[in-house]
Amino acid sequence: MFGLCFALPCITASLLLGGCQQQQSPYFGTIEPRHGPEELWINNSSEPEWLDPGRCSDSTGGEIIWNTFEGLVQAHPATLQPLPAIATHWDISDDGRTYTFHLRPSFWSDGHALTADDFVFALRRLVDPQTGSKYASNGFIFQEGLAISRGDAAVETLGVRAIDTHTLEITLVDPLPYFLNFLSFYSFMPLPEHLFQDLQNRGIDPDLWTRPEYVVCNGAFRMTDWRFRQHMTFEKNEYYWDAVSVKLDRIRVAMVESATTAMNMYVAGEFDWPGGSTSLPAEFMDHLEKYQDFHSHPYLGVYFYWINTEKPPLDNPLVRRALSLAIDRDSLVQHVTRGGQRGSADLVPDGLAGYEGLHIPVYNPVKARQLLAKAGYATGQELPLVTLSFNTSEGHKQVAEAIQAMWQQELGITVELANQEWKVFLANAEQTNFQICRMGWIGDYADPYTFLELLTSDCGNNHSNWSSTTYDTLLEQANQQHDAEERLRMLREAEAFALHEQPLIPLYVYTRTQLIKPYVRGIWGNHQDRHPWKYMWIDESFDPHDLMVGAGKNVDEDEQVPQ
Amino acid sequence: MIRILLQRLLELIPTALVIVAASFALVRLAPGSPFSSEKEIPPEVRQKLEAKYGFDKPLPEQFIRYLGNLLRGDLGLSTKYPQRTVNEIIANGFPVTLSLAAIALLWSLLVGITAGIIGAIRQNTVWDHVAMTAALVGISVPSFVLGPLLVLTVSLRLHLLPPAGWGDWQHVVLPGLTLGTIYAASIARLTRGGMLEVVRSDFIRTARAKGLSESLIVWRHMLRGGLLPVVSYLGPAVASMLTGSVVVEKIFNVPGIGPYFVDAAFNRDYFLVMGIVLLYAFFLLLMNLIVDVVYGFLDPRVDVS
Repeated sequence: MFGLCFALPCITASLLLGGCQQQQSPYFGTIEPRHGPEELWINNSSEPEWLDPGRCSDSTGGEIIWNTFEGLVQAHPATLQPLPAIATHWDISDDGRTYTFHLRPSFWSDGHALTADDFVFALRRLVDPQTGSKYASNGFIFQEGLAISRGDAAVETLGVRAIDTHTLEITLVDPLPYFLNFLSFYSFMPLPEHLFQDLQNRGIDPDLWTRPEYVVCNGAFRMTDWRFRQHMTFEKNEYYWDAVSVKLDRIRVAMVESATTAMNMYVAGEFDWPGGSTSLPAEFMDHLEKYQDFHSHPYLGVYFYWINTEKPPLDNPLVRRALSLAIDRDSLVQHVTRGGQRGSADLVPDGLAGYEGLHIPVYNPVKARQLLAKAGYATGQELPLVTLSFNTSEGHKQVAEAIQAMWQQELGITVELANQEWKVFLANAEQTNFQICRMGWIGDYADPYTFLELLTSDCGNNHSNWSSTTYDTLLEQANQQHDAEERLRMLREAEAFALHEQPLIPLYVYTRTQLIKPYVRGIWGNHQDRHPWKYMWIDESFDPHDLMVGAGKNVDEDEQVPQ
Repeated sequence: MIRILLQRLLELIPTALVIVAASFALVRLAPGSPFSSEKEIPPEVRQKLEAKYGFDKPLPEQFIRYLGNLLRGDLGLSTKYPQRTVNEIIANGFPVTLSLAAIALLWSLLVGITAGIIGAIRQNTVWDHVAMTAALVGISVPSFVLGPLLVLTVSLRLHLLPPAGWGDWQHVVLPGLTLGTIYAASIARLTRGGMLEVVRSDFIRTARAKGLSESLIVWRHMLRGGLLPVVSYLGPAVASMLTGSVVVEKIFNVPGIGPYFVDAAFNRDYFLVMGIVLLYAFFLLLMNLIVDVVYGFLDPRVDVS
């Protein structure tokens, strides 16, 4: 079965590419829309676990929530900076911990008025242990959020309260400078409390409230049909406060898991956009880059290797640094991953507003050998066998094999590879039952802290067994800091400190690759891969018969960015 | 006959119990949890989720509770799709898998039996060689090669059918052909072999001596005897079409239950794994029973009892 699963995309890829090489079109597949200008056909890669903002923890569910709900602020489609949404404006207290949001009059899709109480209900429900939200930790930024989640405080004590129908006050644990940016995350959407009560009164399980027959939302689109593991249909929500800006009437969202199948459907015109969550296979990249409807942009994610800092010989930071310096990351991204990724030894990727990356030297085998010798290993052969674990995936395997070869070649170290099934791999990672294991981290918000938090002592996602009070204190002090520039300097200092200890080895920064039909407009590349449907539209002036190179408009560059 | 059928059905109960116990033990012994993920889940939340599904209880208690629910026809809740019950997921997906298997079966019987008859009645002619070479190719080309080839030619080059999806008759054709071809090839060879075995039998000679027309001999006498090996093959073949459609359903994004067979195990979606295993086991047992009964009708020498 595994063999088949791996062979399948390869065979399809070779057939498909072989078939397309004879074509002269500068676009990959048909460029004639198979529907009217009021409609868009996209893919969302898989059936979402939850469409409930308070419970959702996967990107496919997040994609739907972002387009059917609207929070206090929304992320700008190009820059991701917070824009007014349900809140028209806000006041911030002097200590930076209390935000007062002024809400615009707006409505739910059933015509009910949306009030500040709907936000209070949603945020209390997020941290309430009875909800069982996997992303409850997002609510720990609110005062008493953590205590409520642990059952040590009543939900009514949460630092979120409605001052009146259209005024909401939020009190934070710390004066988090990234709060407004984070606030556009899907966990913080309002919920229609009246619907929950109505369902309960009718004897219907309120957990089913996101089904199309019941769902009530306040975003640009509302779901009208949901065929399990096939597709969903969304129609423009006429009650949306900014409905006048929404250009499309209908969006059909399919759930095609196989990237190869999604590409076939794109070629045949069954998709206008295979969606942000469809990762184009690496073996296609060299070919696809030639087409005008291929786009790529940096993505707020880092691929790295955790090191268990308690297991010899990796308990020695010199050995860990030697391992990092012996990796030729440029070669890795050019010859192995091939998706336009950028090799980087930094934990925090560039692109976060105001944060200057460390740009640590990525490849220095001479210094790596010196460090290894300083650690007491004159040659790599003296180093005990090191095991590198990864979860079953052709991509992870190829990266691991490349690193194994680099360490062998540059340092003479023998590395054993351990290919583990996903849940076994996760169980081992949770228990730090490994020497080195692969991991990736996607930032939830555009601030360095989303990455730096990973290495704090009490972070449950820190699988390195490394902890440092110096590091924790630096981050704590940074988050208390009101001066934004000083805060970023302190965060940078913390990152430099941690990477000198090297409890993890960053390898590269992700990119997102997209195929977008040339007649689709209103999609911008941004580093969180968020693409609000409300800005998308079909360009009827696009001439599919004009196949001259350059005739198609680059959706990323030409589109006027909304203000 | 009814008594025998009931007896055979009753015999299925202990087999089903063994299957339930073995699959429950295997799936629960696998390391990992349905709730593990890359991002840490607060321990209180995890406890809450485990309590919701009853995973906080001792395993024997969980097993007894599962058996009790099973007797009431309740297959439990999915952990991967928390808003759906396993019953609902199977009710959604199984008719799709069933219709795909039905199309594949029709295609395989139509092509297989026709090619087999041609091969047998035109033995050692060009017709025979062409039919059997095609059958050999059909058996040798796996569905994960045939599927993409059909997509490339029929969908992407000729634009005749959609490359994937589900909804109308156009979506059924390519996955049906892909799934059915390998069985068509086997059926062709079995039909030909079966017919060649009976072609020199006494009852065929008698039929010829009676002056029956050749077509009547082929259809009424030769085919009936020649189809016996095909009937034996059909039971496991239908079960295999139902259980083995994983790859085809993935290639064509068919929303059947095939992919769950693998994905639910990877996701540690305990109740869904159990539900699919039980469903497949039930169909395997049922198909074998049907084959035994049909065999009795086709061959008077076989006593079903």
